Amino acid sequence: MNTKMYKKYLGLMSGVALSLSLVACGPQESGKEDTGSKETPKNQELVVWEDIEKGAGIEDAIAQFEKDHDVNVKVVEKPYAQQIEDLRMDGPAGTGPDVLTMPGDQIGTAVTEGLIKELDVAGDVQSIYTEAAMQSQMVDSKVYGLPKAVETTMLYYNKALISEEDLPKTLDEWYEYSKEVTDGKKFGFLALFDQIYYAQSVMSGYGGYIFGGENGSYDATDIGLNNKGAVEGAKYIQKFYKEGLFPAGIIGEQGINVLESLFTEGKAAAIISGPWNLDPFAKAGIDYGVAKLPELSNGENMSSFMGVKSYNVSAYSKNAELAEELVEFLANEENSKKRYELTKEVPAVKALADDPVVKESEAAQAIAEQSQFSELTPNIPEMNEVWTPADAALQTIATGKAEPKEALDQAVETVKGQIEAKHGGK
Amino acid sequence: MQHRKIALLLSIIPGLGQFYNKQVVKGLLFLLVGAAFFAAFGDLLNMGLWGIVTLGTEVPRDNSIFLLAEGIIAVIVLVFGLGIYYANLRDAYLNGKLRDENRQLSSLKEQYQNIISQGYPYVISGPSLFILIFAVIFPILFSFALAFTNYDLYHSPPANLVDWVGFQTFSEIFTVDIWRSTFFDVLAWTVVWTLVASSLQVSLGILMAIVVNQKDIRFKRFYRTVLVLPWAVPGFVTILIFAGLFNDSFGAINNDILAAFGIDPIPWLTDANWSRLALILMQGWLGFPYIFLVTTGVLQSIPDDLYEAATIDGASVFAKFRHITMPMILIAMAPIIITQFTFNFNNFNIIYLFNGGGPAVPGSTAGGTDILVSWIYKLTMQSSQYSLAAALTILLSVFVIAIALWQFRRTNSFKEGA
Repeated sequence: MNTKMYKKYLGLMSGVALSLSLVACGPQESGKEDTGSKETPKNQELVVWEDIEKGAGIEDAIAQFEKDHDVNVKVVEKPYAQQIEDLRMDGPAGTGPDVLTMPGDQIGTAVTEGLIKELDVAGDVQSIYTEAAMQSQMVDSKVYGLPKAVETTMLYYNKALISEEDLPKTLDEWYEYSKEVTDGKKFGFLALFDQIYYAQSVMSGYGGYIFGGENGSYDATDIGLNNKGAVEGAKYIQKFYKEGLFPAGIIGEQGINVLESLFTEGKAAAIISGPWNLDPFAKAGIDYGVAKLPELSNGENMSSFMGVKSYNVSAYSKNAELAEELVEFLANEENSKKRYELTKEVPAVKALADDPVVKESEAAQAIAEQSQFSELTPNIPEMNEVWTPADAALQTIATGKAEPKEALDQAVETVKGQIEAKHGGK
Repeated sequence: MQHRKIALLLSIIPGLGQFYNKQVVKGLLFLLVGAAFFAAFGDLLNMGLWGIVTLGTEVPRDNSIFLLAEGIIAVIVLVFGLGIYYANLRDAYLNGKLRDENRQLSSLKEQYQNIISQGYPYVISGPSLFILIFAVIFPILFSFALAFTNYDLYHSPPANLVDWVGFQTFSEIFTVDIWRSTFFDVLAWTVVWTLVASSLQVSLGILMAIVVNQKDIRFKRFYRTVLVLPWAVPGFVTILIFAGLFNDSFGAINNDILAAFGIDPIPWLTDANWSRLALILMQGWLGFPYIFLVTTGVLQSIPDDLYEAATIDGASVFAKFRHITMPMILIAMAPIIITQFTFNFNNFNIIYLFNGGGPAVPGSTAGGTDILVSWIYKLTMQSSQYSLAAALTILLSVFVIAIALWQFRRTNSFKEGA
């Protein structure tokens, strides 16, 4: 037999072998089912992912829960905005948490991906939270978590540069004030209005909106970022940049660092920022005050995006019922108050707004006041497509490269295109 | 019937052919390996091959992405298994053929020595091959496979299954308006960036090396040390500091350097073209020391006789440079220069750290200085477009591999090595 024949034989054999092995592996995997039977171990363990440096706030509550339910609870600290990212890997691997915490605007994505469990929360439990905070945890009117804390942007002012009594009440007055004090080295009022997160405070006051409809039932096809009010707001914003009241150096990716260092160096009288800077600014040795955002020329108060941090139950949790109980326990009034005392995270519990502990704090007071004017960040996945194009448009408006109307029109077109391309197939 | 055919047929069950050839130990070995293979990998092959074909049929039981990974491992294991199986068939056939020709089969001892002497290189490189397959081949196969699925936010485990969609994602890159226009914008800038930034750093490095290497220069060591400094500082630190220096209204470049010459501030971070220029200048600064170092080494290895002979022949300084120095440098450095191009093609750090790919460009999903790799990063991390990102990664690799191959084939340094 020559080599050719031999090759042919070998090929044939290998073919037979391959098809044999393929036939063997039909979808008859019965082995998977029997692992389903749970043996319910005696000493259960729950894993909680808490926000970074916030673990101290729930220590007592956890100890209490452990005692009441005879269960071991392990607390791991992770940055709260990244927990969903880690859950994607750790969840299926079995090393994930039972309870985790995340920003309210990620809830929609997490639900779409099926990463978090629907909770069965009684009406009277839901009613202890502010309505907006509770809304942020709902997708299609189902509850997926309980609010842990709320945050919103507010006005920080440097007491060495401007006293509380002289504080302008409206944005127009701030504009005049800035005009007086700005000399290229020192600035009056500054904000990152080249980002929709901050600019929406102005635009929404004039009637701009991101998605039409209410939370829980947003209409992603109705985008109000280029309506008459939004354009009016954008024009107002552009004025600050055009006249040099906002330096070009606070535009763009590095802008936030510049803005914050201008404030900590005492070169800016007031800025808009969030509660995450309460501590850093104090550490920087600035004697600052905080207040709600000023009013707009049409009498409306500047709005703001309200961020809600929440406790949620992982879809991979093996002890979902117990985990849900823990969520309710951690988010109840008593523990929310304790948490506030230790970590300064303003709770979403209605009754606590009038609690002396919260009332005494200027920051909590400012957040509570501003919360009345704030709106929720839409929690539907389509929101992911809004940030970049909207920021891009505002940036070009800020740098004067584009007129507000056309920039916003283009942004809306881009957002619609991206929603169509990325979310059209759902 | 001939022995070789019988042996071959019997070997369908590994080892039987060897038994037939009266090579009992070898036969046992094959039989054992075969049995062990199925015992150890049976489940993996079963689940993996089913998984890679179907990508799961039922939520939440099946996690498509894990099934895909398992399937790829199963395929790799299967390829190994088939390799052993092929060796088994081949061995039975060859020994059967020897018997047909009435020749002596090698004894057990001879076989052993055969394996030791001929198989030694395989034994030695085996473990590294194994690691290579799982550290390099497996991830590549995995991301390659992702490009042919519809893995995105709405097709993500555990709530949903991922499906094979063939070339749909690739065709979307070229048919959906928003992807197409962004893709070609980004690609164009990526190519310009790669060519200009790499050429700048390479020519700057070579120029500096030649200048410092002149006989008449004093304090050579000092110059060499100073010129290598940019390389000694970690790149990301340099980039972040530069980002501060280039700041439109507070950076030292606008406020101190340009102002000293009476030049108006330049919008380094807010105008796409100026940002691009700033990036290219920075990459020149970051990249030239390495080329400088290597070139210095090459220059010192050029024998002086060449220059002496040229001087006797009456060659000018320029002629010596053109016909001796330059060719010597290029021959030795070609591979390094090519790596500079491929490095910059994928130079994520500088783009992302300097300005996050910005400034924003109206009507585009990528920023003005986004190169392909940073755009892919944004697609994956910000919008969960995994399959699209994987498809773009494949396109990107095709570019890099094509350029690298073309260059490698053109340069002499690799021909000599082969």
